[in-house]
Amino acid sequence: MAEVLAEGYNVFDTGKSPTGTVKYLSAPADVIELIQSGRLGEHILLVQGGTTTFLAPALSMGAIGVITMSGAPESHLGILSREFQTPCIMTAHLTGSDSRYVVGATGPGHFDEIAKALDGRKVRLDCSDHEVGRVLADD
Amino acid sequence: MTAPALDKTRYDVLNVVALKKMAAPQVIAAASGVAVRDVEAVLADLAARGLVVVAAGSVLPTDDAEPALRTTAAGHYAAVRDDPLVAQLVDRFETVNAQFLTTMSAWQQVDVGGRKVANDHSDSAYDDKVISRLDKLVARLGPLLDALADHDPRFGIYPRRFAAAVDGVDEGRHELVSSPTADSIHNIWFEFHEDLLRTLGRERAA
Repeated sequence: MAEVLAEGYNVFDTGKSPTGTVKYLSAPADVIELIQSGRLGEHILLVQGGTTTFLAPALSMGAIGVITMSGAPESHLGILSREFQTPCIMTAHLTGSDSRYVVGATGPGHFDEIAKALDGRKVRLDCSDHEVGRVLADD
Repeated sequence: MTAPALDKTRYDVLNVVALKKMAAPQVIAAASGVAVRDVEAVLADLAARGLVVVAAGSVLPTDDAEPALRTTAAGHYAAVRDDPLVAQLVDRFETVNAQFLTTMSAWQQVDVGGRKVANDHSDSAYDDKVISRLDKLVARLGPLLDALADHDPRFGIYPRRFAAAVDGVDEGRHELVSSPTADSIHNIWFEFHEDLLRTLGRERAA
């Protein structure tokens, strides 16, 4: 079985198990650049928050999978990902780290660590469990 | 460095672009109340200022859009921010918003033995109950929307959009509940929430 790199809330159960290179998106400009590059479908998108509302265009343009580092499945992004049937794992944490997201008490170090570990890695999302979504290594 | 403030028409157009994240000029006109031919000219101006770009045939905000809106809103909406009636109604909105998000999830997913599964919409009694809850939640925004429209008439566009979506749902057009590609109740609510936070100069909590 492939190595589990990270785990989080699975927003909805799905048999879809997209693979792609993780791309960390930190600002609206990153999303615009990605859409303009025509390579949206090659990437699993990593963003900091469930309230990262700038991701909406990427979802409507056919993003294949999303990982967030904070936020709940009931949030706006969770609702959108179910509408678009885009597999989505929220508040993911690295299985190899003790750092966890805590509302209002999470410093930038937590997000930097995850972004550094996942950005650029080839992964597969497993969203078949009704609670836990898994980010698997696919190198 | 503080971003330069925009005039009201530029603000109204850029605000809608930022709320929708991606939109065509006609849609921006409908949601902002600015005439289509004026929207086109304003968009060209905003593009020249580096505040919007056109990609895949739609207008998107750049990273500089948010700071420009923030600066402008602080000036335009100083009186709204000082209005005690608005403050009181906004406190109540937070509760209504949490109920709304839960209700929206209940529309998309049903609880079967503690496990959430996709709502296949085969149980019309269940769907009707969720829709009726949504109608009530939308109605509870009324006083806040009215109070905001007293300060800026553009807030009067929201009740009209909500009414059109709610009427459509009641006529059986269920995509108007949560479809991200229609002027659905969820889209309008989400845009209003973000608009409200910007108007008041607050950060998003959920």
